[in-house]
Amino acid sequence: MTAMNHDEAEELLGAYALDALTGDERQRIEEHFLSCEEHRDVATELRATASMLALTVEDRDPSPSLGRRIMEAVNAERSQPAAVPPLPLLPQNTMTRRRVGRRPSLWMRPAYLAVAAALVVALAAGALIGRLTVPNAATVAYTFQGDATHAPGAQARLVYFKDQQAAVVAATGLPKLASGQVYEMWLIGNGVPVDEGIGSSTNGDLAARLTGDISRFQQFAITIEPGEQRLPTTMPILLGNLRTGS
Amino acid sequence: MWYGMSGDAPDPDGQMAAQLQRGDSTAIEALYGRYGRLALGVAYRILNDRGAAEDAVQDAFVAVWRHAAGFDASRGGLRNWLLSIVRNRAIDRLRGNARARTEVQLDSAEPAGGVPDPWAAVALDLERRQIREAFDELPEAQRRTLSLAYFAGLTQVEIAQQMQVPLGTVKGRMRIGLEKMRAFLLARGVTV
Repeated sequence: MTAMNHDEAEELLGAYALDALTGDERQRIEEHFLSCEEHRDVATELRATASMLALTVEDRDPSPSLGRRIMEAVNAERSQPAAVPPLPLLPQNTMTRRRVGRRPSLWMRPAYLAVAAALVVALAAGALIGRLTVPNAATVAYTFQGDATHAPGAQARLVYFKDQQAAVVAATGLPKLASGQVYEMWLIGNGVPVDEGIGSSTNGDLAARLTGDISRFQQFAITIEPGEQRLPTTMPILLGNLRTGS
Repeated sequence: MWYGMSGDAPDPDGQMAAQLQRGDSTAIEALYGRYGRLALGVAYRILNDRGAAEDAVQDAFVAVWRHAAGFDASRGGLRNWLLSIVRNRAIDRLRGNARARTEVQLDSAEPAGGVPDPWAAVALDLERRQIREAFDELPEAQRRTLSLAYFAGLTQVEIAQQMQVPLGTVKGRMRIGLEKMRAFLLARGVTV
């Protein structure tokens, strides 16, 4: 990915404010903002103005049941165990600094592929969740379940090889992708999601390798995105804690 | 926010945000009472389908509840945060990214619930009138360009193709249109 220069960014500020850039363009201009206070300030102003467009619409009267449905959904969330820290949404975090030095990669060496393949098979058979034997002290395994509403059958297993600073992830039962969509993986540290790469699948199974030290992250998540994003633009279909994983 | 009426007026959005961050779900009811009709207006404008719009609004309110702890008022008010989530959810559905929605009965409509706040309602109405005026002041081509981006979720390239104009023209219309709106609103005391 090539860096965006000042002139190019200048031309794209309006489109950025209106979310009318592609994922790649947005990522490049946000990288530019990290070193250009002038454009960062203009972008903030223009985004605030663009958000006012929502106020040009006419009100609509909701059906009587909508308020009840919302409160039922909220109360259902309340009854769930300890909420995980929030996954920031794009409008709140459009200029978060991207971590440098870790290149997301979904390509795996054969050794990792073998582990991931075994995980996928075991997950599909329903045999592994919560029962994977930890081979040794240098290996940590976590299990994650899909979102109850949007990915009820999804499961994922992440095995972290501490000594090699690498992890493999295997997921199964993920919701099918529409044309142009990808699964995007995130590690979340102190509330900031970091892009860990994208993948696609026709059958809802996904295997991937993560590189680097993941011990300083608190959560792992998968979202479905319209192409690779710098920050999540949709709710996670799968989200779990890395400190308390099984 | 509109500050033209009273500088000492209470800030219901700030109070609701604080309640949400304390885990008080009654704030969702209050937020829905205050912005439910507007939120549905935004979603309906994007989706032109009542059932899908209501699903997007429901998703958005639940997302606000779920992520309230991460809300940062210094980056924009609660209303703008809610509406940006409504827009994102609606655009997702427009692009076919959302899961299958539940059907909603088209039963008789009634106003959203919640405790009425006359001052806040009047202030919001005045603010919205100014914003519509700012938008209506723009040339037709700029209005259409902004609408295609914000309400149809099109990229600048898609807009150029749809309007059959060069990409550079679209870029210029977006930037100039937003800057004109901003100048118009600032001149009338509306905080942008």
